[in-house]
Amino acid sequence: MKRVIKKIKEKIKEKINRLKERKKTKKRLSAHRKEQLKELRGEIKQPSFSNQQAIMLESKYYTPEFKTHYPYVEELPAGYKENRMVLLTRDPWWIHTYWELSPFFLEKIKNDLREEFFNAKRVLRVYDVTNIVFDGTNAHRYFDVEINDYANNWYIDTAGPGRSWCVDLGLKLASGKFITLLRSNVVSTPLDGSSSITDEEWMVPEEIFARLYGIGAGLGVSSPVKKGWQQEVRKKLWQPLASGALSSLASPVKKKEAVGARKFWLIVNTELIVYGATEPDATVYVQGKQIPLRPDGTFSLRFALPDGKQVIPVKGISKDRLEEQTITPVVTKETR
Amino acid sequence: MHKGYLCLVLHSHLPFVRHPECDYFLEENWLYEAITETYIPLIRMMERLVEEKINFRLTMSLTPTLISMLKDQLLQERYLRYINKLIELAHKEIERTRWQPEFQSLALMYLDRFLGARDTFERYKRDLTSAFASFQDKGVLEIIACCATHGYLPLMDVVPASARAQIRVGIKVYEETFLRKPKGFWLPECGYHPGHDYFLKENGIKYFFMEIHGILHGSPRPKYGIYAPVYCKSGVACFGRDWESAKQVWSSIEGYPGDYWYREFYRDIGYDLDFEYIKPYIHPDGIRINTGIKYYRITGSENKQPYNPQMAKEKAAEHAGNFMFNRERQIEYLYDFLKKKPIVVAPYDAELFGHWWFEGVMWLEFLIRKINFDQKTFTLITASEYLNENPRNQVITPSLSSWGWKGYNEMWLQGANDWIYPHLHKASERMSELVKLHPNENDGLIRRALNQALRELLLAQSSDWAFILGTGTHTTYAIRKIKEHLLRFSTLYEQIKSRSIDPHWLEDIEQKDNLFPNIDYCLHQ
Repeated sequence: MKRVIKKIKEKIKEKINRLKERKKTKKRLSAHRKEQLKELRGEIKQPSFSNQQAIMLESKYYTPEFKTHYPYVEELPAGYKENRMVLLTRDPWWIHTYWELSPFFLEKIKNDLREEFFNAKRVLRVYDVTNIVFDGTNAHRYFDVEINDYANNWYIDTAGPGRSWCVDLGLKLASGKFITLLRSNVVSTPLDGSSSITDEEWMVPEEIFARLYGIGAGLGVSSPVKKGWQQEVRKKLWQPLASGALSSLASPVKKKEAVGARKFWLIVNTELIVYGATEPDATVYVQGKQIPLRPDGTFSLRFALPDGKQVIPVKGISKDRLEEQTITPVVTKETR
Repeated sequence: MHKGYLCLVLHSHLPFVRHPECDYFLEENWLYEAITETYIPLIRMMERLVEEKINFRLTMSLTPTLISMLKDQLLQERYLRYINKLIELAHKEIERTRWQPEFQSLALMYLDRFLGARDTFERYKRDLTSAFASFQDKGVLEIIACCATHGYLPLMDVVPASARAQIRVGIKVYEETFLRKPKGFWLPECGYHPGHDYFLKENGIKYFFMEIHGILHGSPRPKYGIYAPVYCKSGVACFGRDWESAKQVWSSIEGYPGDYWYREFYRDIGYDLDFEYIKPYIHPDGIRINTGIKYYRITGSENKQPYNPQMAKEKAAEHAGNFMFNRERQIEYLYDFLKKKPIVVAPYDAELFGHWWFEGVMWLEFLIRKINFDQKTFTLITASEYLNENPRNQVITPSLSSWGWKGYNEMWLQGANDWIYPHLHKASERMSELVKLHPNENDGLIRRALNQALRELLLAQSSDWAFILGTGTHTTYAIRKIKEHLLRFSTLYEQIKSRSIDPHWLEDIEQKDNLFPNIDYCLHQ
């Protein structure tokens, strides 16, 4: 009986912990994330500058895509059958990790843990290891991200610009015990704003720096310099875009059609073909301009035909210049 | 007395696309279009400026992949075939538009451009790198080096040997091409990871360029913001990009290229004209593609109006004047404010000029001429000249940054392309392993295989593939390239490890991926 109660208690504890963790995660939803959500909801209309630049860069590879054109290329291996965990920095807030567990190693863990293995949760433990040599126990703090058993990579919101991180892939046993399976390399996230450190020799007053920051970022001399200038500038410039925005890189100069607008369209152009034949050694003029003949004396010309009347005298002259003949088609085109 | 400097930087790059196994390969057009619309117009611009003795300074990077393609005989021949086809089409267009003078004048303009391109191409004996080299020798152009295949270095930090190989091979190609040591370096996508400046330092590089927040968010705070270079701890100088001048050109909305009088990039006769007529000039399978002949201006509405070169030219001049005016005001202000001559660094992707922004080269020429004749506030300068004049600068540690979407690594690390990194990093590790196992390989065949392995690894690392995957359009070719080079690498790795190299297959891929003929696999460490 006591055991059962203990188990229930533990479960409740765990649940509370998880709720707490979730709250923490919610708190970690930095200003940046809120911006991102805004983008997703389409509240920010103008694409950021870096997005516009990407659109232009993309024009470099502007060729149509058609799938059948390319010969079949073999697939890359699904993995390399080894233990490996790599951590990469994405930006000041996010890090990315990918990993592989060797099948052999995984079997061994399964055998060691038996039932516990199947009740355990896969967890990424994210350690803040800023300015320390991490030995597995001395992190400033850590937080866990629960993942599914099939994931082999994960994006982690650290909400911690300017810090260093290390990640363990591990199992959280029902008992609460954490077993490390893999440990990543250490990466650092860059600062999300300017450094607070200034050096004596190159001292720069806050207000002057704020001004320089704004001018460099293209906000001109009216850029904000008062309290909170960093946030102001950031808001103007580095507002991130929703990922979907880039996937629809169409003509940036094209006006986006209103939602629900009908797309049907029709274009009609006309061209006129003037063709004929004469002696192969004759000379032919069309509207006064000499044209080339094919070796057999035939010719054909193709003209874009605008509205209006075209008078097209075709004059042929024999090689000895003694004979001459002119035929003049007159074509009127009218669009209604 | 002038009060500051403007440093114009053009970064020219295309990924290595060369398919001798196919008679026609669509993606090779990236190069041919860039040659016709960007590189040759830039060369002709510099020729005119030099001939008229106009004083100017430009900085340009030519990436090793681009250099390799420009020097490649097969691609040179194919370019001639390409431009000859275009010339033929332009002739036909002049006939076809006889009753539409507003279009015929444009067809004539294109014919003139294409003939000029072919002429320039032949004048430099089909090797355009020699043209750029000659301007460098004349002292008006400073060419800077770049990574071997434009690999994005911040995401290579797990296996630093690969980052170093990218840099070292890049510098080697530079030295072989331009017969001198490079002073400056262009980090692909301005991707800077703290510490990589040491790799530049050990290769004799004096400076590189960085995105604005790389410096502004550096530590300690940079006293002059981005208007003076800083030194990294390694002693390499680093210049930050000015966003004010960047946005005027780069922005598709508020920037110049979106002006309604400028030529519309997306309307091309390859799509507009009758299929039977245009068929010989599009993809042999009958797929419509861009030909490069475009008759319309942006207009500002869907009902596109014919392009008017005269009006566009006036706009380009006006925009050049506007850009200069803004720099004058900016530099005057900064000079009073900083009590020091500021340097404004304005880097752009070279292929933006002429290709996407048709009038871009014209704008640049107007700008250079105006700077020379119409003002005295600032002068053009290269970064190395600036450093000679101002050797004393603040030391800071710049911050991780790139000029890509959102300013960090996300363009190259997101759901659409993150699957490539386990493979790329594994291949990098294997390359390091091979170098360790073969510190000084004497067997000629194995040595060739080792060298080819490094080529294949570098090719897979091109930032272009990850970028294209990230944009989500035309991804098929990018996926193919990554897979193909990685698979070739893996096969080489296996064959080297078991010392059982298939000489015929090796020869075949050596001929396909034939860039960097003098590569040395030992550079990967």
